[in-house]
Amino acid sequence: MKHGRVLTGIYGLDDLMDGGFRENTVNLVYGGPGVGKTTFALQYSLFGLDRGEKVLYVSFEMSEQQIIRDCSDMGWGAIKDHIDEGNMKIIHIFGEDLAFPSLDIAEIIKKTMPGHNLRIVIDPFTYPTFYSDKEKRKSLSTIFQDLRKLGTTVVVVEEPADGSTSYNYAGPGDIPTRISATPLYLSDTVLFLQNLGFGEMYDRTIRIMKHRGSKHGEAIYPFSIETGLGIVLRASEKQIERVIPKTKYDERFKEALKKVKAMGKQGVNLSARIEALRKNWVHDEDPLQILDLVLEEEKKGYEQET
Amino acid sequence: MNKKLEDTLDQLYEIEGVEACLLYRIDGVPITIRVPGFREHLLETMFWLEKHIKHVLKEMNREGLKETIFYFRNNRILIAPSSKSTVLVAITKGESNQQLVSLETLRATKIICNCVS
Repeated sequence: MKHGRVLTGIYGLDDLMDGGFRENTVNLVYGGPGVGKTTFALQYSLFGLDRGEKVLYVSFEMSEQQIIRDCSDMGWGAIKDHIDEGNMKIIHIFGEDLAFPSLDIAEIIKKTMPGHNLRIVIDPFTYPTFYSDKEKRKSLSTIFQDLRKLGTTVVVVEEPADGSTSYNYAGPGDIPTRISATPLYLSDTVLFLQNLGFGEMYDRTIRIMKHRGSKHGEAIYPFSIETGLGIVLRASEKQIERVIPKTKYDERFKEALKKVKAMGKQGVNLSARIEALRKNWVHDEDPLQILDLVLEEEKKGYEQET
Repeated sequence: MNKKLEDTLDQLYEIEGVEACLLYRIDGVPITIRVPGFREHLLETMFWLEKHIKHVLKEMNREGLKETIFYFRNNRILIAPSSKSTVLVAITKGESNQQLVSLETLRATKIICNCVS
């Protein structure tokens, strides 16, 4: 397991996410109704609980009884034992009841389960509508900052069923409305779950839209929800291969590093960056063109400086 | 199942004259693609496909077409639905054996349908 990572517990996902979520981050699971967002959140919780971690589940919708019942139907009866033992706490509140969410949520979590490195789930993240856009962003930013101090959070965000903020394809110009998009911008990771509803392999898919500070798979990955297991990704071997760093071009990088070292002080910084590139080179193509371009550009600055 | 799908695309891509083959979901999201590195004209076509594939499919469905062909510059773009939620696209050079590519593309759509359904 990679240092500083929190395993998601979603079968097949961590390999595509550089080892999982980064510690002390806020990670969004975004999607329409029935795509598996709550299943994701509960699977994330259960995985941690089974490894002795503490989980705090803030539910803005389902009561504790409903969550236990749903888990039991999924074959995750162990959740109840964890709740009974105090390893998992479920807070059931309504988002609309929070007068100052930026203050309230963190305080509620701290009072309910003191400590750090918690697995926190907020499901679903409903947001008060009475703030102005500017206040919303600030308030949301404060909530996320507080959550980062407390642990690694999974925030479930609903995509409206009417498609008014459709995020079918995260391409340029295909941006959802500001209200819906703000949490996506402020979070560290965004996972987009979709279900077209034809019952075919690529109808239920997950896409890693954003994963700060980490390399990650950029395809859409089919998944299924299996009783007893939860979400299981079915990435192909080729898709997995594409996120594994390649060592076959190491000689190219060594040649580039030699040239960089001749650049003096500026070269020291650049060589560290090229070394980082070498360690994370996941492409099948030769890096020669990129390395030549970088050296040429960096040399310009170097020549000007000297 | 996934492997069979990938192999099918590999085989189609290996046919002489096939410049790229791409499997899209009907909402325009690329599922898996075979393209030869960076080619500006292919990139333009791919952007076009991502944006317009659902409209093309809608028209095909209305007209009851099994396949449709577009010509962009020197490229022939064959669009063939492969299942309820996927569509296969083969981009070929003008001088390639079009009949062979069409037959192989339609054969591939049947295999893909079996894989994803």
